[in-house]
Amino acid sequence: MHKKQWLTVIFILLLVAVTAAQCSSAQPTVDTSALDAAKAAAAASEAKVAEANAKAATAEADAAAAVNAGADELAAAQATAEAAKTEAESAVQAAEEAKAEAEQAMSAVEAPAEEGPVTITFWHAYNEVSPENEMLTGTLIPEFEAEHPNIKVESLSVPYGEFRQKLLTSMAGGVAPNLIRADIIWVPELANLGALAPLDEIMPDFDTYKAKVFSGPLSTNFWGGHYYGLPLDTNTRVWFWNKEMYDEAGIAAPPKTIDDVIAQCAAIKALGDDKYVFADGGTYAWAVLPWIWSFGGAITDPDVTTATGYLNGPETVQAYEFLLKFYKDGCMAPSVLGSGVDAGTGYAQDLYANYIDGPWMYPIYEGQFPDKQLHATLMPAGAGGSVSVVGGEDIVLLQQSPNKDAALEFIRFTLSPEYQTKMAEVGQLMVLNELVKSDYIQNHPYYGIFLEQLKTAKARTPHPAWTKMDEIITNAGQSILREEKTPQQALDDAAAEIDALLTSK
Amino acid sequence: MNIARNITEVFTRARGNRRRKRINLTPYLFLLPGVLLFLAWTAYPLLKAFQISLYDWNPIPGQVSAFIGSANYTRAFSDPVFWMALRNTVMYAVVTVIGQMFLGLTVALMVDQVVFARTAFRTIYYLPVITSWVVISILFKYLFNSNPSGLVHYLMVDVLHLLPDYVPWLSNAGTSWVAILSLGIWKGIGWSMIIFLAALQSIPVVFYEVAAIDGANKWDRLWRITLPLIRPTLIFVLVMLIIGGFQAFISIYLITGGGPLQRTEVLLSYMYNQGFKYMEFGYGAALSYMLAALIFGVNFIQIRFLQERIEY
Repeated sequence: MHKKQWLTVIFILLLVAVTAAQCSSAQPTVDTSALDAAKAAAAASEAKVAEANAKAATAEADAAAAVNAGADELAAAQATAEAAKTEAESAVQAAEEAKAEAEQAMSAVEAPAEEGPVTITFWHAYNEVSPENEMLTGTLIPEFEAEHPNIKVESLSVPYGEFRQKLLTSMAGGVAPNLIRADIIWVPELANLGALAPLDEIMPDFDTYKAKVFSGPLSTNFWGGHYYGLPLDTNTRVWFWNKEMYDEAGIAAPPKTIDDVIAQCAAIKALGDDKYVFADGGTYAWAVLPWIWSFGGAITDPDVTTATGYLNGPETVQAYEFLLKFYKDGCMAPSVLGSGVDAGTGYAQDLYANYIDGPWMYPIYEGQFPDKQLHATLMPAGAGGSVSVVGGEDIVLLQQSPNKDAALEFIRFTLSPEYQTKMAEVGQLMVLNELVKSDYIQNHPYYGIFLEQLKTAKARTPHPAWTKMDEIITNAGQSILREEKTPQQALDDAAAEIDALLTSK
Repeated sequence: MNIARNITEVFTRARGNRRRKRINLTPYLFLLPGVLLFLAWTAYPLLKAFQISLYDWNPIPGQVSAFIGSANYTRAFSDPVFWMALRNTVMYAVVTVIGQMFLGLTVALMVDQVVFARTAFRTIYYLPVITSWVVISILFKYLFNSNPSGLVHYLMVDVLHLLPDYVPWLSNAGTSWVAILSLGIWKGIGWSMIIFLAALQSIPVVFYEVAAIDGANKWDRLWRITLPLIRPTLIFVLVMLIIGGFQAFISIYLITGGGPLQRTEVLLSYMYNQGFKYMEFGYGAALSYMLAALIFGVNFIQIRFLQERIEY
């Protein structure tokens, strides 16, 4: 064999070795065993304190009881109480020593991490070129970094449709981001997989923040006995009515009830065959739930144990019968089955007299249809009242991510009035109770109606298998509108399918 | 050098030293990088996927997954969407394979006759093949837009008057297939054309000259000379296209996403949805193994019954 050949072989092997080494070179990890030990010691000593305190309390109670019994016993009991007290005190002292030790150990472990800047990653689904993303990356993150020189925040826009896939892949590979802005409906699923860190356990001041935010959005973070995140923004869908079309058709006022909506049909159809009273983008839960709930129906019972009797109950069936008739009469646009012009565009082009959507439509209209005015009112009421659907996002911390303390600091920042107000300026409805009465909200042109609608709005079913439930609901709606099944039949089938999901997990 | 010789000697001694046979290690060393990459990127994922298919798999590292044996496999048999996806997959394969082979052969025969600017024609027909699936799929989604302003609408209704009215192409399964299948066939014609063209050009011209003397017309020459002689190529193209047809994914995922009502779901899109939409990675992995078994079975039958040696 020639020397040259050997050289080539060695070169290729080297190349492979280098590549392999690069692939396997893991990120440097902080040795946290000392920290864990210290934390355990602190926890143990705290338990001891609690135990001693309890002993002292019982002893004192015994003493109090003995007062009635007699002097001898009193003296004896007092002595016991005294002894217990001293025991408790010494335990407290020991505990404090242990705690101090633990803190020292903790700071010793954390100190090297804080020397150099720590980088935390934050994924969200804001469009890369949206005003939200500009506000976040152009104003807010630099502000946070200026306040925390040791923390660098890397923000990444991941399109909503690819978000879960990208997140899963990164988690499976052990390189998940620190924080994500998760659709409220993903949180139970991610928590159930064990992907999220329980904030109520690892965030010492969690209760402070828990008290600050709206309780509805907060509840979307609760799964299996723990809170896995905090709300970041909230929204709901309200009824947009097209004043120009109303004027043309001679309709005086926006509808108060679903019957008012039905009554618009003849007048709107008289404007032209391609005009519709109402449009929506599909039969998915986000679209149909306001109707189901306003009719008094539901997907499952309140405890999420069964769908039978709820999804196929008389009220829900009525809601779908209404939608079917509305569609067949040509009053609901074919966009619900995915053809024709989408709801927002159709409203702007005076094809659709009404549609339901969220506060993000205002910035969209400013950009795309600056001449068209959005008029909002509450969802028309049915037998169940005027009930819309709660949307929004939570900020959650990934269990496997390093630098949790720095990430928690960023969570605190996102719940500051400063951050929340700035994001509200670009269409993100805030979640802080204290801001509802603020001048900003009081003088805001359109947030008022959303806050009003939020009072009765409901959240979608919190369940790990929600994505599948949504698919079942979507398909049921499709087969109803395509008249392949009667509403009752389609909903019976869907309820049985959802029941199977509810019992299997 | 010495090391290699020493190792070689060890090997030869172990064989009983009956015949001194030198084993040259050099080719194996050259193969090593490729084998390593194969092990890392093909063999390992294959085995891992099989393992996943036996579990109720949790993708998060450190979480416990329950071993459920063959439950993911048996589950498919009682899953109506699986059967729908299977039927669609077979339908897609049959229609696109026949379409691509027929049109590919037709184009190849035509280009073969062309004397002037043959390379230009070849390039034009081959262009769709090298274009990205993603780009083309999104393009087709726009062409088949349900809006009256969609290009297909404009052509078929307003210009050619072939359709009486606008069709919501992607809202119904039947009309969605028109878009998906026409994309699949159109994109694949160039590939089969190139292969057929190569085969056509390898047929000795003398056969045709002899046939012409015998009085064979063009049709006879095609049926009795061309097709029998390119039979191995036909089989090769058939096998490759069927493998490709069973693996249709990007166009369907991007154009309809399996909808409406999961009626355009094929095995791969259903597998993908199980994994990344519902996080049912175990079931998804089981589906991928069932698809692999299906492709293997179909190709085994094809090669077994269609392959014959031909001699010129």
